[in-house]
Amino acid sequence: MAGSGTAHMRNTVDSVLTVRDLTVEFRISKNKIVKAVSGLSFDVVKGETLAIVGESGCGKTTMARAILQLPPPNSGEVIFDGTDLTQLPKENLRSARTSMQMIFQDPISSLNPRLTVHQLIDEPLEIWDRGTRVERDERINKLLFSVGLEPDLVLNRRSYEFSGGQCQRISIARALALDPRMLICDEPVSALDVSIQAQILNLLLFMKETHGLTMLFISHDLAVVKAISTRVMVMYLGKICEVAPPDVLYTKPAHHYTRALLNSVPIPDPTKQIRTELLQGEPPSPMNPPSGCRFRTRCVGASALCAEQEPQLREISPGQFVACHHPIV
Amino acid sequence: MVFFALFGPLLPFEHWTFVYEDALGVTPFSPGHILGTDNNGYDLLSSVISGTRMSIFIAITAVGLGGLVGSALGITAAFVRGKIDLVLSTAFNVGLAIPNLVLALALVSVLATNVDMTNPVPIWRRVTVLVISLTIVLIPILGRIARGATLTWSGREFVTAARSMGMRDMQIIRKHIVPNVLPALIAVAFLAVGVVIIAEASLSLLGVGIPDGGSWGGMIARGRNDLEYSPHVLYIPVIFLAITVISTNQIGEVLRRKLDGREAKV
Repeated sequence: MAGSGTAHMRNTVDSVLTVRDLTVEFRISKNKIVKAVSGLSFDVVKGETLAIVGESGCGKTTMARAILQLPPPNSGEVIFDGTDLTQLPKENLRSARTSMQMIFQDPISSLNPRLTVHQLIDEPLEIWDRGTRVERDERINKLLFSVGLEPDLVLNRRSYEFSGGQCQRISIARALALDPRMLICDEPVSALDVSIQAQILNLLLFMKETHGLTMLFISHDLAVVKAISTRVMVMYLGKICEVAPPDVLYTKPAHHYTRALLNSVPIPDPTKQIRTELLQGEPPSPMNPPSGCRFRTRCVGASALCAEQEPQLREISPGQFVACHHPIV
Repeated sequence: MVFFALFGPLLPFEHWTFVYEDALGVTPFSPGHILGTDNNGYDLLSSVISGTRMSIFIAITAVGLGGLVGSALGITAAFVRGKIDLVLSTAFNVGLAIPNLVLALALVSVLATNVDMTNPVPIWRRVTVLVISLTIVLIPILGRIARGATLTWSGREFVTAARSMGMRDMQIIRKHIVPNVLPALIAVAFLAVGVVIIAEASLSLLGVGIPDGGSWGGMIARGRNDLEYSPHVLYIPVIFLAITVISTNQIGEVLRRKLDGREAKV
């Protein structure tokens, strides 16, 4: 696993978001500290969709929130459009955050049940005083229409009157109201039905095209990631395992953890036999992570070297970076 | 009850301290005195009505003040977290640990009694102190409710979303926290009105509330002495008290259901 591996960073002028050495720790009691994210670095280039995958509890959501400074990370840099968000004073951060909006996992809990759809989408416009009442109403209608909802039917209803998919559409409309440059989607479809998942994913892709968005897409579902991403980053216990374009990652994964993740994807064909063995055991506690490579306790290819030395990210084929001493060739 | 409280003074009765010399301890339903009189010749209907005013006034003011201060403190504690939360919730718990009545009793007896028996404390001062001490009793109760409700709501993702949109903390509290916390608070506040009426009655019964039967508790205290001869003097204010408490609880319940109906569906 990469400690402070930066081989995958592209350092281009085009990068919208650059994260360096991001660390988030939670203090549980006096001397117990959970290292949810430890020394993560990556960059997102304009127009790209970076997918972040990993099992539950590996720090994906914590990382996304740390990027938005909600709450701020313990250390590291989050450079968005040339400014380091971690150094910004509160008032500047407030306005800087508007060009980076988030879509949450639970569509119902992300909408206040006491507000109508009109109030919900008007909220960001109202905060920043964008345009007159008439202009704002027009914009709300346009936004609703673009996410596939009929404004006249939904404007005066409240979130509990909608299905999960519809709520997620409202969330997307709300997130786009401020014309952000970047969208952080935190498992936006994992609470939805498979048929609705596809609709929402297509909507996100369409919005990305029409609004020229850059996306950070967090998911634990590799099938979803394959459909939407241009680059995939695999995380395990707060660190990066592998970074690669999806077609490379899916056909020849280099990290043992990536392979295990791919093997866990259900195959929608009952006649096909599953040959590969699945991962044994639970991920170790982030309070006391294993030495060296964090995955070694569950890795089939682990050796003595893995316990001593932490593997760093290195490029093993064009565009594919892996943090492993014994990558699968 | 509300009718009595609002229009009591307009009703065509003699003031409750008017003494009917000819009718001492008359039973209810006798001519001229529907609810009878007590042994001093006070008309009970008129007493009860003026008692309503006093009791309900005290209860509503105390709950109103307690609710305002309590919810402000509770919401702040839960929203800011950290040290402020620790201090405030410890204070709430300490407040809750002291039995309500004992606390109110202590406050009233310190603040509103006069050592010099010949120069009693004026009634307005007694009422003020009573309201303040009942408010102090209520703050931790309502504060804790507000804190708990705020904790659940501020953890919701729409609060994070509002922050990411650049909403200020005060706006978030006003727009997202308060409307969602309010139903729980209102329900408890109505329950508290009942509790406060009873607490005020208990204090009066113990002789530290409103003196000389100015409120229901005072009437009960007075009626207690004549229980053997004219029990209705005791029963009538008790019945009124019971009806009021039950109906405030009912109103609270109905309101809660109405305000919370949407939530119940989610």
